[in-house]
Amino acid sequence: MRELAFYFVGAGAIVFSLGMLVQRSLYAAAVCLLMALLQTAVMLSLAGSPLVGCIQLIVSAGGVMVLVVVAIMAAPSQAKAMWARFAVPKPLAAAGVLVLAAELLALITLPGLSGGVPPAGALDAKVGAVLFGSYAVATEAAALVLFLAALAVVGQEENDFMKRRGVSPHGCFPLAACGTRPGRGGGK
Amino acid sequence: MNATVLQVGVLLFTLGLGMVVLRGQLLAMLLGIELMVGAVNVILTYHANLFGDPKALAAVVLIICVAAAEAVLGLCLILKLHHGGIPAETESLAELRD
Repeated sequence: MRELAFYFVGAGAIVFSLGMLVQRSLYAAAVCLLMALLQTAVMLSLAGSPLVGCIQLIVSAGGVMVLVVVAIMAAPSQAKAMWARFAVPKPLAAAGVLVLAAELLALITLPGLSGGVPPAGALDAKVGAVLFGSYAVATEAAALVLFLAALAVVGQEENDFMKRRGVSPHGCFPLAACGTRPGRGGGK
Repeated sequence: MNATVLQVGVLLFTLGLGMVVLRGQLLAMLLGIELMVGAVNVILTYHANLFGDPKALAAVVLIICVAAAEAVLGLCLILKLHHGGIPAETESLAELRD
């Protein structure tokens, strides 16, 4: 039963991945990848780790894909001509919603699907102990990498803001002082 | 079940690799990389549960975090290129080759 469900979900992931590959519009490709990552989260749950499935859902499907869609929409107007139309084909959108709803319903209602080898979630409780035990250095390194990624975005935004104000990115600090000092090119 | 997981994982990985190789836009290549990471996570999670190894599961969590950070940095660089008027395509970014 679980193997059949895995086949079904895997087939859905493969179909949407193929759709992502052949879509001319980047926006439609991003939506196809979103559906494929949702299928991946269900597969992780069927593989015996609902915790990792939820993390995949929140981080990859929820966080990263939203960033990708925003990045596609935030491209300057002259760059939009490089991409095809932003509309997602309606049959594809409807198929995505229906497939996901059917899978969620099956996971909740059908017995024996949420089991794992060993029982579902048996290892999830030990993951925290490993992450902050033997893998503590790796966890801190991953947290640092995430922090640096956030800093890169903030730094980029600050540079853009200062350039729009006519101030050199390496000019004044803190930023609040840029608009108050005469002769610094800001505060007009 | 083992064969099923491997087949699905390998197919997804191949499709992601195809996306990276066949598409010339950096954003499309980033999407392919995300799919490849997802495929590897599925295989690793199944085998972690099969062998009862929580360390492999912890590695999956760390992989997801690092992949998210990598996607954020990649998108930041792509937007930087667009704001600079440079198309984010592999054909346009060939200065080292020339």
